Order: sequence, then structure tokens, then C-alpha cells
Amino acid sequence: MKLRMTQVTALVLKAIAAGHRHGFDIMERCGLPSGTVYPALRRLERAGLLRSAWEDEDDAHAAGRPARRTYELTVRGEQALPDAEGKLEEVRRLLRTLPEAPGAEA
Amino acid sequence: MKRLATLWLRLLSYLVPRSERADWRREWLAELAVADWSWAHAWGAIADAWFLRTDGWTMDAMWRDLRMAVRSFARRPLFTVVSGVTLAVGIGATTAIYSVVDGVLIDPLPYPDSERLVSYNHDAPGLGVDVPVVPHSQAMYLHYLQNARSLEAFAVFSDSYVNLIADGEPRRLKAKQATEAYFDVLGIEPFLGRGFASGDDRPGAEPVAILGHGVWEQAFGADREVLGRLVELDGTGRRIIGVMPDDAVFTDEELWLPLTIDPTNADAGSLGLIGIGRLAEGASIEGANREMQELLVRFAEAHPDDFSGEIMEEAGLRADVKPLRDVLVQDVRQALWLLLGTVGFVLLIACANVANLFLVRGESRRKERAVRAAMGAGRLDLTRQYLTESLLLSLGGGLLGLGLAAVALRGLLRFAPSELPQVLGVELDGSVLVVTASISVLSGLLFGLFPLLGSRGDDLSHSLREGGRAATLGRDRHRARHALVVAQVALALVLLVGSGLMARSFSAMSNVDLGFEPAGVLTYSIALPAAEYPGPERRLAFHRRLVERLSGMPGVRGVGTINSAPLAGQFRSAEPMEPTDRPFPEDGLAPLVEQRRVSPGYFEALGIELVDGRGLDWGDRADGYRGAVISSTLADAFWPGKSAVGRRIRGQGDEHSWEVVGVADEVRFESVRKAPGPLIYLPIVAGPPDQPVGSTVMDVVVRTDGDPTDAVAGSREDLGAVDPRLPLVNPRSFEAAVDDAMAATSFTVVLLGIAAGVALLLGTVGLYGVVSYVVSRRTQEIGIRMALGAPAETVLRSFVGQGLRLTMLGVVIGLAGALGLSRMLASLLYGVSPTDPLTFAATALGLLSVATLATWIPARRASRVDPVEALKEE
Repeated sequence: MKLRMTQVTALVLKAIAAGHRHGFDIMERCGLPSGTVYPALRRLERAGLLRSAWEDEDDAHAAGRPARRTYELTVRGEQALPDAEGKLEEVRRLLRTLPEAPGAEA
Repeated sequence: MKRLATLWLRLLSYLVPRSERADWRREWLAELAVADWSWAHAWGAIADAWFLRTDGWTMDAMWRDLRMAVRSFARRPLFTVVSGVTLAVGIGATTAIYSVVDGVLIDPLPYPDSERLVSYNHDAPGLGVDVPVVPHSQAMYLHYLQNARSLEAFAVFSDSYVNLIADGEPRRLKAKQATEAYFDVLGIEPFLGRGFASGDDRPGAEPVAILGHGVWEQAFGADREVLGRLVELDGTGRRIIGVMPDDAVFTDEELWLPLTIDPTNADAGSLGLIGIGRLAEGASIEGANREMQELLVRFAEAHPDDFSGEIMEEAGLRADVKPLRDVLVQDVRQALWLLLGTVGFVLLIACANVANLFLVRGESRRKERAVRAAMGAGRLDLTRQYLTESLLLSLGGGLLGLGLAAVALRGLLRFAPSELPQVLGVELDGSVLVVTASISVLSGLLFGLFPLLGSRGDDLSHSLREGGRAATLGRDRHRARHALVVAQVALALVLLVGSGLMARSFSAMSNVDLGFEPAGVLTYSIALPAAEYPGPERRLAFHRRLVERLSGMPGVRGVGTINSAPLAGQFRSAEPMEPTDRPFPEDGLAPLVEQRRVSPGYFEALGIELVDGRGLDWGDRADGYRGAVISSTLADAFWPGKSAVGRRIRGQGDEHSWEVVGVADEVRFESVRKAPGPLIYLPIVAGPPDQPVGSTVMDVVVRTDGDPTDAVAGSREDLGAVDPRLPLVNPRSFEAAVDDAMAATSFTVVLLGIAAGVALLLGTVGLYGVVSYVVSRRTQEIGIRMALGAPAETVLRSFVGQGLRLTMLGVVIGLAGALGLSRMLASLLYGVSPTDPLTFAATALGLLSVATLATWIPARRASRVDPVEALKEE
């Protein structure tokens, strides 16, 4: 399934690449609400850019919490990283070219 | 917080497709365990679950669908308003009635652990008297109190009226005399002071009183220092020991007094104390019934004088423990379920109507659908769009309906018969809102999905090519619409028959010969304080002075008093009586004869005909000439075919008898519907000759020349002249009292009538809509037929015929349904059988003629089609 790269999917991919592996951690890193991040995770997984697995039960148990779902990049996900970086660069460029909000200069 | 969040996630997980559900739940719950939960995540979880459910149909898409729905409604304002209002009427009516049903029949009583509250009384089918329960005697109460293990608390009470004098102003208050545990049974804590304490109900205890919240505010200015004060109640000083909270009221009493019972001298045989109990922890109603039955048998064996085996058997006296709520609402229960069923029908008709509108609109949108499908919208997308529209409409209708319900409820409660206990709160509360929301969603699904069923076989590309102008439609679609019309007609007919039967009952009741002439009569109540009027002489003198003074008022044509007036009184008393010339065997039960005490002048004042002999005069009294008047029913029962005057009658086994001096025409005392039973009119001073008892509570009847309420001021003045300390209570015209007695029936008649009217209107609109729609779709075909020489009448006939065939089918189904359902009305009907052929035929014919009109109007339009114009439209 082909995936259209958006700012959200790009941010989520980058966050995972940076080592954030659980849903809520990714949310926090991206500064996006769960209602945005989770559907993005589902889409990325369906497109084959991510795969998910369950933490080791014993490890989690030792830490006194239930096993969490972990997300990691697939090879295709790694390959998509430049694409994501491009998308984000586009956003940065856009932000730079935007004029300052009126009144901000004064 | 976390527990709530867990519950939320578990609920939501059912939205997730089953294959992914377990993983979804596991993931979210695990995140919940490590992270701080905020309600933003609750929203996020919805978004996620919704994403998985709809396979990518995100919140954005939902908003898009909603926006589209709103736009499409805005484009067709008439369609939107008509279907919205139709739904609002159906949902509003259902909500209003449901909130009454919820408050009265479903919601528990507002007392702690109210499911343990029971009516602890007896039942006696053999007595043939129509009372909710057969109560206790003093000795019975003590027996059960001591021995019943299945009750945690048990109390008996009786209702009475007392005169309170506070601030120099006399008031009459409804009082409950109750034994010690009364408030413990109900679980009510006093607002101020204390409830009854142990010993308050024993002889010799200091007389005390507990005030209701309303009286405390009105008569005592909500003074917290009221505790310990002495007040004068019926001439006796009583100390106020407590004030009850606002919601402590059980029926509509204003005051509580201890019911004094002397254990050493308790009466065994007169059953006048109503029992309520609180079941012990773990006790069941069945168990309590079994135990009470055993205790009753033991009690009867210990009191053979009052409860001989023969009498027990004949009366069928037995234990009767049942939920307290059932006793409170038994009068209205049936009418309420009936009304709920009725408005349910109206709602169904409304849904059918809106479904039809959607069907029609669906036709006109075939092209739109085809375009969307051609552009890649799947069947799922179209379905979703349709459902979004129908749900939006039904929720809007529900919101509007809620407003209607709030208004309707206020009107409903104002006109409702006042038999409902105040304790049952009727309001639009949370549970009603939930029901309304569910009704809205359900009806939205119902009428939203219906049109889709018909569009299964749609060939979209075909629609597109034809430009949505197919000459005729698929059979399926026709069938769906026709089925809806038939259903509407059938449902409307059932309601029409029901309301027709009720209307006939009402008219039969209005024509009942009550046995008296209520027009021009004023009635009000007075109660003599027993302490101030101790002996029979003073009571009799009071009656005589009052009657004589009132008779002297200008415009007054007759005055009399009775201890409980027909249809208006609250007081009943009956005793087994026998003729002295043909006594009943001692161990058998003589017929129960209702007793009333009346003053001279009573029969004339109320216009009751004396069919034989004379009325009572002041010389008739227990300790003088023992003359009494009996009703013609009693005369016929005891001395059929012979004159009763001069014969004697007595309480079964009594030493002293009464001489029948007159026979009065029968009078409906208990209700308009109920044929009167045997009755005897005793003088004001009755009882045995050596212990005469004068009546204290009385209803005064004053016949006037003009408007009876004009006589109120004069009556007050005259009463003040006889005794300034007595309040004149509840003055009203006797006609108003009779209207009140018929209130329950007229209430049902009005509501059923409104429901049937709405049903007829909606059904007619539905029929009209279908025929006009068919006409508009077939304009070209008609044009061609007429161009080929078909006469206008043939066209007219074919359309009217089509409409009538549907109506006839609906009428036949409706008649069959009404035949089955009208039986449920039986107990509310009067003077008309539930299968009354006249009502059935008349309503069927009425419906047919309205339906004919509804088809004729559009059919005539068809027959006037100009062939040239019609074909030009091509």
C-alpha cells in the first residue's frame, strides 16, 4: 500500500528513528495528540514502514507494569526516512519564508 | 480516574474490529498503566478505534459527512422541517409519557433501600369490597409486631383530619396517626428534633405531634424554636417534638401524631389500621407472606369471637405482603402502560412517515448517487452518508422533541388526576434523557436503513444514463413504500378504535344517572374537634344550628350534611347487616352494607328521590326513635317485591335494630362507573341506645338558586356565628366534584384522542405523499395514455383505486390488530364492549373516507394532466 507522506507521518517516523518506541512516548516527542498519532501509526504499519511487537512479558513484569506495544522501522521505513526529512525540510522552508505576524516587529 | 479510563477503553474496544480488538485493548491499557491519563486521550482513543473500525474513515471524514448532511438538509428546507417536526412529535410524546412511567412505575421510592418496603396487610376476596388492602385491627398489629421475624420494622397508621389553631387562625390539616416505628420503616430522619420514640404510642404518654415541613413554614414561620411548644390540635394540647424534611411526605399528609394502642385492651375485630413494613435483611416477599399467613391463622384461632373458621373461609381473609410501590400506583398503572404503548405507536407512524420521505428523496437523488459512485465512492461511503443524514435528523428531532416533552409534561401534570402520590417524582431526569437519545438513534437507524434496503439492486450506471428519469421504479421500491403506507394506516386505525372506545365510555359515564342532582349545589367539609364536642348532644346541636342558619340564607333552597358525600368523600364504613325478620345464621356472613350518617334535609338538598316513606328528621336518633333510610338496592335485596318501610334492620347479631322509615333512590357513592351496593343512611347520632355516638366529620351540601360558589362567603359567616374556631374546608361546586371523579377517564380520553388525531394526520399525510409522488413520476405516462384517448375518469379511478387498495389492506390489518389490543382497554371502558362493532365500523369508515380524500386530491391532478405539456417535458 502506498503511503502519502504528511508532516504527521514524517514526524512520527523521525521520532521512532530517534528511538521512541511506544505510542505515548512518540506522542510526547512529536507534541501531537493521541487522536493524531495513533491513526498515523496504523497507517504507517499498514503501509509496511513500521512493524509492531510486544515487549517481553517478564521484563515488563519485573518493572511492575504490563507489556507495552513497541514500534520499530522496517527496511522500507528506513528507506523512507530521507523522504520524511524532505517533507519536514519543506515545512521548515515554508516557515522561514512566511512573513512575521503583524505586530511582532514592534 | 484510572478505573474510569479503563472502563472507557474496554467499552471503546468493542468499536474495534474483532481481529484487532485484543491487541488494541492491550496496547491502550499498557500505555495507561505507565502514562498520566488525561481526557484528551479519551478522545484520542475514540479516534484510533474509529480509524480501525472504519478502515481509515477518520474524524475528518465524519465531519465531512456531517457537513454534507447539513448542506443537503439546508437545500431542502421543507423536507427537513416536515420530517424533523414529525420526528419531534413522535419522540416528544414518547419522552413525556415515558418520564411519567419512569417516575411512577420504574423509579424506586425515594427512601433508603426502598425495595425492602412492603405493604403488610391482608386480602379478602370473599368480602366483595373493592379496597386496595384489608388492614389490621389493634390486636393484629401487636400480634404481628411481636412475632413477625421477616420484618425489620413494622408500623400501622390511619389517616384523619385535625383542626390546628395557630396565630388565631383555624386550619384543617391532613394527619397520619402512626405507631412508633413508622419513620424507621420508611427510613426518614427528622429535619428538626426527633421522630416517634418508644412509648409515644402507649396510653398515658404525653401527647406529642410532628410537623410536616410545609406546615412548619406556613403556620409557624419556619421558626426553629418551635420544638417543645404546645399547640392546640382538635382542642388537645400537644407538644411539638419534631419537624420532618420536605420530602418525607408519603401521600399528602401535613402532620404526624402517635397512634395510641393499649396492649392490655386492644381491639381485635375492627380492621382499620394500614400496615407498612421494612423487610429484614435477606427476607423475601414470599417468605414474609408465608410467615404472615401462619401468624394470621394463629391469631384467628386465638380470637374465635371475631374470626370464626366460617367467617375466615367465607371472607377468604389471608396474608398479603407486596411491594409498597405496587399499592401506591395500582390505580394508574394500567392507564400509564396503555398511554406508553399508544405514543409508541405514534412514534412508529412518525418513523414510517419519515422513512417514506427519505425513500422519495432517495429517488430524486439517484443521479447524485450515481455520480458519486462513478467518482469512486463505494457502497459503504454512500450508506454512511445516508446514515449520517438520518441520524443527524433524528437527533435534531429528538432535541426538539425533548423541548416538546418538557412543555407537554407540564400540561400533563396539571391535568393529571390527583390520585398520584406526591412522593413519586415525575421529571425529565437522566434516565429519561438516555431513553430519549436511544429512541432518537433507533428511529434514525430505522428510517435511515429502510430506504437503503430498496436500493440494493440499483444499477448506478443505468441511473446515470437515464438521467434519473426512469418511467417506473423497481418493484422492490414500490413494495417498500406501499408496506409503509399500509403499516401507517393500520397503526392509525388501532389508535382511532382505542380512542373511539374511550370516547364512548366517557359519554356513557356522562350520561350515568348518578341518583342526585349536582347542578347548583355547593359542598364543603367541616370537622368538629372531639375534645370540644364531647357528647352526642353537642354534636347534634351543632349540626342543627348550622343547617338551620344556612337554610335561612337568601337563595338557598335546601341544606343537609353527610359524613361522606357521594363521589367527593374520602371516608367509607361498612358493616354486615341483616333484616330482623330473616336473620342470617350466626356463623355466616351477612351482606356488607355501607353506612352513612345524614342530617334531615340531606335528600332534598342533593335532589335524591325518596321512592318510599319519608326522609330523616331531628327526632330520629340512636337513643330515641331509631329511624333510618335505606337505599333501594338494599330494600330489594332484603325484601324483594315488598315495601321495606316499617320493617327493621340491624347489624349482624346486634341487640338493637333500626326501623326503616324511608327508601331512597340509589346513588353512585364510590365512583361514577361503579353500580351502587347496599347502603343505609343513619341519623347523625347513631350507635347503640346506651352509648350513642355523634358524627364529627361532615360534608355540607347547600342547594342554591344561582351559582353555588356565591354561597361560600355566606357559609363562612354562618359557620363563624356557630363556632368561630372551625375552618371551612375545600368549598367547591358539586359539579366540580363530579368532574374530578371522572378526571382519570377524561384524562385518558383526551390523551388517546390527541394520539389518535396525530396518528390520523401523519397517516393521511403519508398516503397523500405516496399518491402524489406516484402521480408526479408518471406524468409522462399519463400524458401518453390520455393522448391515446384514455378518458380522465379512467385515470382518476386508477389512482384512487391504487390508494384505496393500500388503505383497505391497512384497515383490515388495523381492525385485526385493534380486535386483539382493545381487550387491554377493557378495565378502563364503561358501558361499551372492547369489541363494540359500531366503534369499529365507524372508525374504519372514517379512516377510509379521509384516505379517499387524501388520494383523490393528487389523483385529480393526474387526470387534469395536459398531454401536450406532459410530453413537452421530455
